Amino acid sequence: MNAILESHGITKDFSGIRALNGVDINVGEGERVGLIGPNGAGKTTFFNCLLGILTPDAGTVQFRGNDISNLRVHKRARAGIGRTFQRIELFSDTSVREHLLIAERVHNGSGAFWKDLLGMGRPTAVEIERCDDVLELLGLRELGDEPIEALSLGQGRLVEVGRALMTEPRLLLLDEPSSGLDREETAALAATLREVQAEKGFAILLVEHDVELVSKFTERLYVLDFGSLIAQGPTAETLSDPAVRRAYLGTLEVDSEVGSD
Amino acid sequence: MILASFGEDLIRAILQGTPPGTVYALIGLGFVLTYKTSGVFNLAFGAQAYISAAMFFKARQDWEWGIVPALILSVFVLAPAIGLILERLIFRNLRTASAVSKLVIAIGLSVALPALFEIVADYKPVAGRSPTGIVPNGSSVFYDPLGVYPFSRDELAQIAVAVLGMLLLGAIFRFTAAGLAMRAVVESPRMTELAGIPADRISALAWAISSMFAGMAGVLIAPRLPTLISTDFFTLVIVAMAAAALGRLVSLPRALIGGLGLGWFIAIFRTFLPRWSDDYTWLEPFEDNLAPSLPFVVLFGVLVFWPAIRRSIDATDPLSGVDPPPPALASSTRHPLLTMQTRAFGVAFFLLVGWLAFFRADGRWVFLLTQAVILSIIYLSITVITGFAGQISLCQGAFAAIGGFTVFQMADRYDMSVLLAALIGAFIAALVGALLSLPVLRLGGVWLAIATLAFAFFFDAVMVQASWVGGGGTALLSGTEVPRPVLGPIDFGASDRTFLALAIVVFIIVAIGVIQLREGTIGRTLRALRGSEVAAESIGISPARARIIAFAVSAFIAGLGGALLSMQQKNVNYSTNFSPVAALFWLVLVVSLSARTVEGAGQAGFAFALFGPLILEGSLLEWLPFLNEDNLPSFFPISAKWRFVLFGLTAIQFARHPEGMLEFGKRRATHKRNERYYARDAARAAAAELAQ
Amino acid sequence: MTNPILELRDVSAEYGPFRALFGVSLTIEPGASLALLGANGAGKTTVARVASGLVSASSGSVFVDGVDMTTKRTYEFAQAGLAHAPEGRSVFATFTVEENLVLSFRRALGRRGVPAAVEEAYALFPRLGERRRQIAGTLSGGEQRMLSLARVLVEKPRLLIADELSLGLAPIVVDEVYETLSSIRGTGTALLIVEQHVHHALELCDEVALLDHGTISWRGPSAEATEAVVNHLFDSGDR
Repeated sequence: MNAILESHGITKDFSGIRALNGVDINVGEGERVGLIGPNGAGKTTFFNCLLGILTPDAGTVQFRGNDISNLRVHKRARAGIGRTFQRIELFSDTSVREHLLIAERVHNGSGAFWKDLLGMGRPTAVEIERCDDVLELLGLRELGDEPIEALSLGQGRLVEVGRALMTEPRLLLLDEPSSGLDREETAALAATLREVQAEKGFAILLVEHDVELVSKFTERLYVLDFGSLIAQGPTAETLSDPAVRRAYLGTLEVDSEVGSD
Repeated sequence: MILASFGEDLIRAILQGTPPGTVYALIGLGFVLTYKTSGVFNLAFGAQAYISAAMFFKARQDWEWGIVPALILSVFVLAPAIGLILERLIFRNLRTASAVSKLVIAIGLSVALPALFEIVADYKPVAGRSPTGIVPNGSSVFYDPLGVYPFSRDELAQIAVAVLGMLLLGAIFRFTAAGLAMRAVVESPRMTELAGIPADRISALAWAISSMFAGMAGVLIAPRLPTLISTDFFTLVIVAMAAAALGRLVSLPRALIGGLGLGWFIAIFRTFLPRWSDDYTWLEPFEDNLAPSLPFVVLFGVLVFWPAIRRSIDATDPLSGVDPPPPALASSTRHPLLTMQTRAFGVAFFLLVGWLAFFRADGRWVFLLTQAVILSIIYLSITVITGFAGQISLCQGAFAAIGGFTVFQMADRYDMSVLLAALIGAFIAALVGALLSLPVLRLGGVWLAIATLAFAFFFDAVMVQASWVGGGGTALLSGTEVPRPVLGPIDFGASDRTFLALAIVVFIIVAIGVIQLREGTIGRTLRALRGSEVAAESIGISPARARIIAFAVSAFIAGLGGALLSMQQKNVNYSTNFSPVAALFWLVLVVSLSARTVEGAGQAGFAFALFGPLILEGSLLEWLPFLNEDNLPSFFPISAKWRFVLFGLTAIQFARHPEGMLEFGKRRATHKRNERYYARDAARAAAAELAQ
Repeated sequence: MTNPILELRDVSAEYGPFRALFGVSLTIEPGASLALLGANGAGKTTVARVASGLVSASSGSVFVDGVDMTTKRTYEFAQAGLAHAPEGRSVFATFTVEENLVLSFRRALGRRGVPAAVEEAYALFPRLGERRRQIAGTLSGGEQRMLSLARVLVEKPRLLIADELSLGLAPIVVDEVYETLSSIRGTGTALLIVEQHVHHALELCDEVALLDHGTISWRGPSAEATEAVVNHLFDSGDR
């Protein structure tokens, strides 16, 4: 499989403490990959290094064959990396559709200062249609005009996904998407994500604590502990690895019927 | 030989720099103390210091009290009392407000407190009556340990208090439970209460202590000033902010060393600065004015280059989710019918005012109305930068002045058409704004505000003196006259009414432009950035680019407005119109009314221009049928100082309604009717469904 | 007869324009343990906040030990022996790990009790012990969660209120936290647990209350909280 994202030897120190120690991962086109690990293992740090929020002390990130290590956050987003947030990040005072419209406008790059001044900066019919298509896909069509404050957390997370989708990402990074959601909502989110992914064909890298979601949703798994990868491989095998159990799972029973559907 | 003299010069410079450095250190310490214990970027620190200094001065000189009772009254009674009142009335409600709204309040207070004190205590700064210090003969007895520079007793007292204060406060933070609790309240009053600590009591204690320190600093600093004026204290606080910034607002020892270092650096710089202007005369205005502006340059440099500041994160209250989200803009939840009614009312009102202005009003009122309209244009620049982009810029006055000065220069030197010159001025302002935004944008929040304030003071001290900007020495003699424009057959100088018409046309054009930007790509991008910067970046928005545009547009509007204001007054009148302090007023006024709407800017403009004549001078009452100019109540005209007090009250009101008073008022006034319209719609829809 | 440690009588609460609770009544006897379950948006967090005084009830009353605390401030709830670990990363981000613990322990346990309590916290979460001088804001999300829990677990309050206990914690750490909870339950601390992880909560607590759209829809012993009851709750929970 062609790797869409590859990290080589990502290393990061925080005031003398090594948070990441030479982490290599790769994600193939259209693949669903999970990243788990105990608290403080460096998952968030790694995520931030991929996204350009943090600069690693060593190592490179390659995306679709190009070295993106020196690109800034928004450039990486434009290169095709979308993301959602663990603690939901939405724009206040902004309707659901407007969230997508902003992303669409940034993505198609048709905004210009002089157009704004001449009153041509408002959303076009084509843009609205494209946004509504994505809202439809996510089951949010009826909520298009709702202010974002009126949404539940689960719906808010879907809006985040929709906003990311407008930029037509080739890779979607999901940062603990189940956090704050109950079991039903998590299951619904997973189902929707899988449907959307089947249609659009992007790859997913998932950081998660909900082992049930990880085991059902991902095909491959990386396990981080103390900044280093301690295990990797197909999800089912990796979850039954004794080292993973020792460091992470404890007594938790993992559904044995896992992996690809 | 040369080396020996160099060494001596250096030592002398350092010793010379020590007393002013101590002043910076005292303020820096007090500033850090307040920030650490109350989370407020307390620009009113100077005002608090001033009040204690003035109280001490009055007690000593007018009442002829002894040093100790005067000190007790001013520092240990009055200062903490003011602190407690401020905490109770204002800052307690603001504990979980954003750093930016706290900053606005502090700016309001820095103006209101001295005015209020001067009214209540009947105190007037009189030139030539120099303040005295807390030690007898403080300014006349000297000690000269090294035989290079003699220290006065006052200066030694300052140094001693600064060092002792640092040690004492450091001990409080390090070894007492109260120190930890004070820091905790700043970060999250709710979590502090969950730990069983009464947050209100702790923050009252914090304000009492920090206000006492402010008062002490004020009394100590006073003897360095020839006359006791509140603005000097304000300027000192701005300069000393560099010291506080070096301590990243949390380290007391660093603030002390930073303050001293600032004093030393400035003294050394002055001693060893080579005279380049002997060879290059065009440098002369810079060199002459570099010395007074050096503190601001240093402050700017510290803010931009001190890496710790960029890294400092505003800790957010993890329990802020307990508060409900702020309500949406009133206009966004308004029923279409209500919107139509509001608009109709607005149009009728403006037609009435317009009719009065053009056909009934005398020259004075036309002049004032024109000023109101032009100020509204300038305030739209604040709508863009603060309302849309969420950044606090305190140098809008400098941008407006650039517009005014450009018109003056172009007309004076090249006899250029002033309308063209106004556009050029606006473009120059936009360019300056864009260039300024490059280094300061990385700062964000409160630091951005301070950096722009440093720029405003730098502009004030250096650029205004330059012959090719503010006219320098020649302008002092001949003024900065600006002609009114002539457009084909219309001479806007001939009649003030035609100029009013021009101002209104420009306002409408700018207002439409601003609204278009808000609804267009830029406005929505800025809204996204204000909502969540990380999320905006994650969809490919470049924060820097969007904010540079916002800065440039805002500066352009301010420059255009400044040019018009100069034309209207036929003079730039820099110090009354555009000084850094005047620009502070603008911001507080616009933000506390409503920074996010065009109406907010308009109302702020009218409030600023018309409040004095209408209310303070009693014109509003004169229009009543049974009153006229001669039988107004005797307390008219009211002292202009009340204007500052009311201004402070506005800021306090803002503390209760951070969305802006206008927004709040709008929502309250129309809420019921709005609900009724929506209920009627719902009923109709239900009936229609039934009918089907 | 002893008074219940916490009693909510017909409590309603609002969140901005939204009503979050509709007449919730709830009692917790000293030493008892109650798991509060419900779908997202049902109002669980609001119940926890009302119980600790963070949010005041818009109607109804709150009693602690039989004393009416409805209008009392949050710190008075804490001084009455109620400890609340709010959801999310509720730590003082600019404090060191140790300062976070000291702030709370000093009030609850007195100056002398602090060192032992701090050591106990580190024994409970060794990761925190390794980072005692680190600024809490730079800890990972899970570590911040541990810090916030360490505070209430070590104090052994009279009533411990924990909101979304296991959120963001690795499964192995969740195990440890529940072990600690069941051991302090033996020492007389009453528990009010708000959880998504139904199984852990049911195992730990004697009683269960189900919250549905701002009202209590079912309450009973954990043993009777059958799969059906709980599932029904979550099925009807989506809005």
